[in-house]
Amino acid sequence: MLELLLKIVNTVRENKGLQPMPELKPEYDLRTDLGFDSLDLAELTVRVEKETGIDIFADSFVLTVNDILNKLNK
Amino acid sequence: MPEKLFLQDYKTGKEYTYANLIKDLNSLTELNIYSREEDLYSVFLHLTASILCKQNLILLDSDFSDSELSALEIDTEKLTSVRNIEPLGIRDQANLIERLMQPSDWQLTLFTSGTTGLPKKVVHTLTSLTRAVRISDRHTSDVWGFAYNPTHIAGLQVFFQALLNGNSLINLYGASRNLIFDLIKCYGITNISATPTFYRMLLPSSETYPTVRKLTSGGEKFDPYLAEQLLQIFPEAKLRNVYASTEAGTILEAKEDIFTITDETLCKVEDGELYIHRILLGESDDVTLDGDWYATGDLVEVISTNPTRFRFLHRKNEMINVGGYKVNPYEVETALEKHPQVKQAYVYGKANSLTGNILIADVVAESNIQEKELRTFLASSLQPFKLPRVINFVDSIELTRSGKLKRT
Repeated sequence: MLELLLKIVNTVRENKGLQPMPELKPEYDLRTDLGFDSLDLAELTVRVEKETGIDIFADSFVLTVNDILNKLNK
Repeated sequence: MPEKLFLQDYKTGKEYTYANLIKDLNSLTELNIYSREEDLYSVFLHLTASILCKQNLILLDSDFSDSELSALEIDTEKLTSVRNIEPLGIRDQANLIERLMQPSDWQLTLFTSGTTGLPKKVVHTLTSLTRAVRISDRHTSDVWGFAYNPTHIAGLQVFFQALLNGNSLINLYGASRNLIFDLIKCYGITNISATPTFYRMLLPSSETYPTVRKLTSGGEKFDPYLAEQLLQIFPEAKLRNVYASTEAGTILEAKEDIFTITDETLCKVEDGELYIHRILLGESDDVTLDGDWYATGDLVEVISTNPTRFRFLHRKNEMINVGGYKVNPYEVETALEKHPQVKQAYVYGKANSLTGNILIADVVAESNIQEKELRTFLASSLQPFKLPRVINFVDSIELTRSGKLKRT
């Protein structure tokens, strides 16, 4: 799952002209460590939903990579 | 007594007091008829000066591209033209506010994405811009978090509310979540007006910020779950939800997501659509009136009558609300189709739990082209919120019988 998430995160990063991340750590903050703003997070949500069918921001707010993993593993 | 702070802008790291503002206003000798500054203080200085010397102003987003400007029929050669002005001679803060409040026929022109493909020009007066401003001793110690683009009607309303009460403004627009929390604490921010998308970026948080007494939400459909979460972070805050449009400014207010029409001669619901009386509107040639009424294009669900209580559903026309900013899909399709490899494009909104909607484009391309390449191409001609965040390459796009793109 972490691998899939890394791939999606890097698609979003590359689309906005950022370097891909070599790895994702569970404690990474989506806003500060990955540099995502609200539109980037919205894009991440759509791409994750496309691959997994899960809306990571539905009914709660996620802060870190680990929060996403918890949602996906539920 | 320390000098009263007018603005703190994290982008430049600068603080400006009211004394700085007055000194800068008094030293102006010329003024541009267009404001397109990126620096927030420069926009505020320009705006204030134009009111004081009664010179009309046209407010442009600093990130408009040349093609966006030409779509607005703005002559880019005139962007730098200036007019000389008489020295303003402002004595102090009280004198500044008194002179700002003097009746005048000053006009401010704003642009909003039009529904027919062309952007709409809306002309406001000081009266129409400050209709919702409340000036009283109760507001003297307010400290405002500024969370809108200054060219957005909601941003202008916050600016006037703060300026006319002599309050401090703290720029939060585009700041990171951690910085926003630091600024709230450091400056003791008491009032924030922002979109639900802005507030969602603050969640979740384990800390609380008791200095904040009032939160205003607007620009997008409100969400009761968000309200509940926000009140945990800001336990002393009252939350209100406002409806505002570029044409009319703030006109309706709700505590939760249910609005009540207090004066049915100014606002009404007909066939599930919200109408605003024309006396509330800024002047615009592009606004079509139905008698004395302006159809907002916002569809609502009536909960009860006498007085009318309703909840917003969605927009009737095809404008897509992305985080409080309205995007015209035709404008994005036209920009996409300018790429030599793109044969046809269809742009639509997909519901998103963070920004209300997200822009998606279906594209029929001539040959193998990467999503990233198209995004870079679009970024040179469109503002960031107008960029489709997902581009799907498809074999064909379904057309309706009349040859128009099918919109659902």
